[in-house]
Amino acid sequence: MMESKVTAAYGVLATIHLIAFLADFVAPYPFAAQQRDLSFAPPTRIHWTDRSGQFHFRPFIYRSASAASNLAPIHFFVRGYSYKLAGLFTTDRHLFGVESPAVLFVLGSDGFGRDQFSRLAAGSRISLTAGWLAAAISLSLGAILGGLAGFYGGWLDDLVMRLGEISLALPWIYLLLAGRAGLPLDVPAVTSYFILITIVGVLGWARPARLVRGLALSVRERGYVTAARAFGASGSYLLRVHVLPDTISILVTQAALLVPQYILAEVTLSFLGLGIDEPSPSWGNMLAGLQHYNVLVSYWWMLLPALAPAIVSLCCFSIADSLLELRRPVPL
Amino acid sequence: MRCRGYMRYRAALLIVLSGAVRLAGEDLLSTTKPPGRYGGNLVVAERSEPKTLNPVMAIDNGSRELLSLMMADLVHINRESQRTEPALARAVDRSPDGRRYIVRLREGLRFSDGYPFDADDVLFSFQVYLDEKIHSPQRDLLMVGGKPLTVSKQDSHTVVFEFAQPYGPEDRLFDSIAILPRHLLLQPYTEGTLTKVWDLNSMPADIAGLGPFRFKQYVPGQRLVLERNPYYWKQDSAGQRLPYLANIIFEYVGSEDAQVLRFASGGADVVSRISARNFDLLSREAHRSRRLVDAGPSLEYNFLFFNLNNLSKKNLPQIEAKQSWFRNVSFRRAVSALIDRQSIAWLVFAGRAVPLATHVTPGNKLWFDSSVVPTARSIESARTLLSSAGFSWNSSHKLIDQSGRPVEFSILTNTGNTERIQMATMIQQDLEQAGIATHMVSLEFRSMLDRITGTFDYEACLLGLASGDVDPGSEMSVWPSDGSTHLWDLTRATADTMWQSEIDRLMASQMRSTKVATRKRLYDRVQQIMATNLPIIPLVSPNVLAGAKAGLRNLRPAILLPYVLWNGEELYWSAQ
Amino acid sequence: MIRYLWRRILHAAAILLLISAGSFAFLELAPGDYATAMRLDPGISPATVSAWRTRYGVDRPLPVRYFRWLRSVLRGEFGFSLAYGIPVGSLLWPRIRNTLLLTTLALVASWFVALALGVAAAAGSQRAFGNLIRGGMSLLHAIPDVLIALVLLLLAVRTGSFPVGGMAETARVGDVASHLVLPVVALVLTSLPVLARHVQAALQESLALPFIQAARAHGIPPGRLWFAYVLPTAANPLISLFGYSIGGLLSASLLVEVIMGWPGLGPVLLEAIFSRDIYVVVGATMVSALFLVMGNLVADLMLYAADPRIRWEQYPRIRYRK
Repeated sequence: MMESKVTAAYGVLATIHLIAFLADFVAPYPFAAQQRDLSFAPPTRIHWTDRSGQFHFRPFIYRSASAASNLAPIHFFVRGYSYKLAGLFTTDRHLFGVESPAVLFVLGSDGFGRDQFSRLAAGSRISLTAGWLAAAISLSLGAILGGLAGFYGGWLDDLVMRLGEISLALPWIYLLLAGRAGLPLDVPAVTSYFILITIVGVLGWARPARLVRGLALSVRERGYVTAARAFGASGSYLLRVHVLPDTISILVTQAALLVPQYILAEVTLSFLGLGIDEPSPSWGNMLAGLQHYNVLVSYWWMLLPALAPAIVSLCCFSIADSLLELRRPVPL
Repeated sequence: MRCRGYMRYRAALLIVLSGAVRLAGEDLLSTTKPPGRYGGNLVVAERSEPKTLNPVMAIDNGSRELLSLMMADLVHINRESQRTEPALARAVDRSPDGRRYIVRLREGLRFSDGYPFDADDVLFSFQVYLDEKIHSPQRDLLMVGGKPLTVSKQDSHTVVFEFAQPYGPEDRLFDSIAILPRHLLLQPYTEGTLTKVWDLNSMPADIAGLGPFRFKQYVPGQRLVLERNPYYWKQDSAGQRLPYLANIIFEYVGSEDAQVLRFASGGADVVSRISARNFDLLSREAHRSRRLVDAGPSLEYNFLFFNLNNLSKKNLPQIEAKQSWFRNVSFRRAVSALIDRQSIAWLVFAGRAVPLATHVTPGNKLWFDSSVVPTARSIESARTLLSSAGFSWNSSHKLIDQSGRPVEFSILTNTGNTERIQMATMIQQDLEQAGIATHMVSLEFRSMLDRITGTFDYEACLLGLASGDVDPGSEMSVWPSDGSTHLWDLTRATADTMWQSEIDRLMASQMRSTKVATRKRLYDRVQQIMATNLPIIPLVSPNVLAGAKAGLRNLRPAILLPYVLWNGEELYWSAQ
Repeated sequence: MIRYLWRRILHAAAILLLISAGSFAFLELAPGDYATAMRLDPGISPATVSAWRTRYGVDRPLPVRYFRWLRSVLRGEFGFSLAYGIPVGSLLWPRIRNTLLLTTLALVASWFVALALGVAAAAGSQRAFGNLIRGGMSLLHAIPDVLIALVLLLLAVRTGSFPVGGMAETARVGDVASHLVLPVVALVLTSLPVLARHVQAALQESLALPFIQAARAHGIPPGRLWFAYVLPTAANPLISLFGYSIGGLLSASLLVEVIMGWPGLGPVLLEAIFSRDIYVVVGATMVSALFLVMGNLVADLMLYAADPRIRWEQYPRIRYRK
């Protein structure tokens, strides 16, 4: 039962990443396209039976509330705006859509009348990349510094651990403000955001470093390592053969926890005004609008984007759990 | 509850006292309003805490609002009529050449600590404000023609002010210049510690003013309480001494959304400066116990401007190259014609904003030139303007200039102001209609200011400014080319275009003229030049929006700061 | 032990000094200063702005400002707030008290709940129960903290059962307590997932140990089994986590305070950050850093007391083994 859950988690994660990769294909509208007369439109109701009770094999929407006969069937693999599929060839095919002037807002629209679903799909690309990028940076820095500290110990250990304490305490927000303010004007919003998230990733080295250090400490005290050392194994050999393999499993587990954490961190960054600039969408800036009382109260569908990071997190956590489960039987 | 009962009892006591304490020869100002009821507290939800209670140092809105209730000025601008009326001055006589003002003070008035007020307090106050060593922000307001005004005392209740030249705004200059209690502040002043007194840690007994309320209590991070000043110098038509309210309690809640939440949950009696979207929400949740007031267009103007600074000394070749577009009036007019101001007013401000033609908003009753109308959105006219200026479109419908360069620029704005970011987002889409590619760079406020006032490393910027007063005198640092807030070009002290030098001339002469009709004519001309040459591209002016519990009487929000509590002394709770 | 303690305290002092220097350097990075915003006020001339800069010494070079600040730390003032014009110490102290009141309560509550949930999940014979708790925690962890606080606030407005923001209308205990409910709940909900996860993992790990299995097989009553064997064995990793919790007492609640209008360090610090009220930021950073360092120290001392192996394994390793 547990296993099937983990398999499902892998499946869902893979699907979400695939959507991110094919965001333009999945999205029926360009993420920046404003339909100003449809500001804060609720999600479009999708029907199978029309008002006379007749069943339609193809789902449809009503073009307007008044004209009951005005059905707009939902088509698949329709033509829409043109884009580069996977960055390679230009096409204008989209997964689904309705014929304009009918509009299909699966998850409703925002204040400018932009399709939330298209923005969510496009945003997944930015948010997932940011999550992975920051996690990879934190983990690799943490692994190197923590591994060295734990394995060699002594002053190096002291230095790294104290540096960790310091870096947790510094007013890092100023570094982010400065990083953001110092960028040239022509840096695109997405790039400037990735630079920011890189800084966040670098700043996050301390906690993984602590973990890896603890592990390295315990590994180097184990019998077989002491034995190998007695046989004259070099430090780098020991690191490579005995410390690293154990570290990798802990790193993978950490990654499963850190990626969603960094995706969610973006919400906080957006809240502080350090998120990605409009009109580029991300999960964080789609949720940041909710801090406004009127949005939170009046438009429930604006909460729907919260599901995306939640689902990713849930999947990552259950994967992390299953990985921990694997590691557990190692007796000390 | 017990607490409130106590307050009532105290208020009742004050009524008795105020009747009994009336001193002989007190020259009270009588209002014409029907009498109100004494007692009760007013809870006001405020965004951020005041920074100081020192009128000499205060620059933030929170402090200034508090001080407007604690202090009084010689002449006051009535926030409703936007005209001056005598306050501590009983009468003001102006000499025919407009350079001499003889101010006769009300007699028998007392500060909120009971100490009598006379001409020495006025002399002392102006001495402090004009002191170069203290360098109070008020000093800048008291400069006429580049020279400080001079003050002298004729007798214990007559003060003479002399200006270096005739002064257009006349006695508006005295508004909000708080008269300080010499008996409390002379010692710190001579000791050189005046800038350090009256902070938030001060004791209420050490602070006194001539305003309707006085400082009672401050709880860090939470609230500040003002109590009724029993010595206040106004009375209603029935001869009852104002103010009516026993206390005004300012609760500091941190954000505009929190203000609205506090008000919606009944925890605050009054909110002001709320966003149009939240106002819209509150008015949709119809509630009989609240009254929402839309006071109409404010004096705030949001605008887009291009970097027209002289960048020859800065190493910014990319921006300098784009300045040939920005300096082109047709280009600016085309941009203006592309912007859909009506949509901005509807989507960003829920319809509670007006499109602007210039920086003078329709809220400015005295100076607005209604013959200058906002540019209507027209893609065709924008295209015509652009092609006549030598721009054209390439095969992928992008706008290119004469040398074939695509027209692209960035729009700088600040985070933390949702409405500005929303406006910029809409403008991006609007300009795309004519093939102009823009991208938004939102920076935190001071980082943005550093770019527009320091490094000049920006292309276009979206900003909002609020005039401090309706009078064009308050705009002298903005429109003349040597103005310190002449944001789009801070590098040049003299005009580089015909129209700018005309503005310089017009603004200077309206400042010297004391004939209102002449000044109005001159300023109308300024507005016409602004609307045709567009040094800034005006967008919209949001309305002043406020809300209060229904029982609060005399609440008449105005568009001059402080929007809601400007007539704090007249507010009272109705009987139910 | 004493010698070790001294060494750690010395380290801590050095770290704090480094952090203060680092903070000053960081603050220098961001463009603009407090007076920059005055430039937008049409009523204030550039001369007034530069006079202001001179008065507060913000135009002096960085090292000068740093040493001035160090001197004022010795006087207990921690510099002065550029915005409020009062010593940072007197500005921050009442707010730190408010923050500590909130976070200490939240810390106790969340540890209590986490331990209870952890024990219930690990002790329950039903594996489904453990999974349920784990699932719930994952879900909670997956919601951004900001959103949790906002939604709680919204519920408060809608139900009208709790005060919306603020700390107290009167000085009475009951009133403060009712204002505390929402922010404490928000903090517990945001910190619980991590805590509960670790508690559960530690307990499961210790339950799986052979001697516990043996004890259980011997029929030792559950109460004694848990309190005498399982919990002490699981304490080791939890103590470090507790150290983190202590370290976060002043910093973990910032955003919740801002959203819920709690008059603590959060709102004043956020405002100070954006208005470049530098000494307030440095002051707040230093106090949080102090807690962080102390938290680590407390955790290490507790470890030292709880687990004799540590003494040989970790600290005096180099010195004693040589």
